Amino acid sequence: MQTKPGQQAGPGFFKRNPPIEGEAEAIERAKNGDAEAFSFLYGLHKRRVYTLCLRMLGNVTEAEDMTQEAFLHLFRKLGSFRGESAFSTWLHRLTVNLVLMQLRKKGLQLVSLEETINPSEEEAPKRDFGARDPQLAGSVDRVTLERAVATLPPGYRMVFLLHDVEGFEHNEIATMLECSTGNSKSQLHKARLKLRELLRQPEALFAVDGSKEGAR
Amino acid sequence: MKDLSTANFDTMTTDEFQQYLPELFEESGGNVSHDPRFAKFLADNPVCAALVHDLETIAETAKSLFEPAVHEPSDAVWDKISSRLKVDEPEE
Repeated sequence: MQTKPGQQAGPGFFKRNPPIEGEAEAIERAKNGDAEAFSFLYGLHKRRVYTLCLRMLGNVTEAEDMTQEAFLHLFRKLGSFRGESAFSTWLHRLTVNLVLMQLRKKGLQLVSLEETINPSEEEAPKRDFGARDPQLAGSVDRVTLERAVATLPPGYRMVFLLHDVEGFEHNEIATMLECSTGNSKSQLHKARLKLRELLRQPEALFAVDGSKEGAR
Repeated sequence: MKDLSTANFDTMTTDEFQQYLPELFEESGGNVSHDPRFAKFLADNPVCAALVHDLETIAETAKSLFEPAVHEPSDAVWDKISSRLKVDEPEE
């Protein structure tokens, strides 16, 4: 999904982030401080940025605050956007970095992934290959998956969102989370295993208490 | 993380297979079940095949969470941004 530094975006690069009509012009105008153009960019990207914040933080108030910070940061840094990646990819990376900074401030030390954000034994996925290991029934719908992702331990959730939803590569995730690529791969695998466990009992996901539901 | 270069899928146990899975998923681009190297192993080990199927389904469904983004910030967010823009300047 992302280009490496110094690499130009290829034809397949914009597959998940196709150019949006009027976006390039708005970016150039906003770089010169045009508030109306910036408002246009906000309208185009507010849902994706907010959804990303909400999924990472799991809290409406914090997600709105972080959305605000991300767009203000964008306004200040827009001049450094060179078009080497899709604008939305660039904006998402900026947002993810701000969210991670916020989480670190709150004491979630993402540096040592294994030790600090690994879940407890109880939360960790079970590595069983027993006979009573039923396959997921058919496909998984996105609402149920979204609910299951929200219940993941923070470390698992972060890597799963960044890799499987946002499309970042493991080396990029490793840089963002300040961990090894092997660690990122391992966390992603554990996250998927945990999701498999959760999705086998989807009814339990929809029986969460009202306070938690209200936060979503 | 296990090194795939040392893997022998003819003699591998199911537990060993799971240790290789993170790397297998990465190397196969999430399509382990369609990789001919593992076809026999998966055919002989339906429990592993079911696990691979489920993990592929989860990864595939996750892509659908990317778009469309269903959540929307309240209008207050833009109000706060726009009031800050009046005093903020883009950096050169």
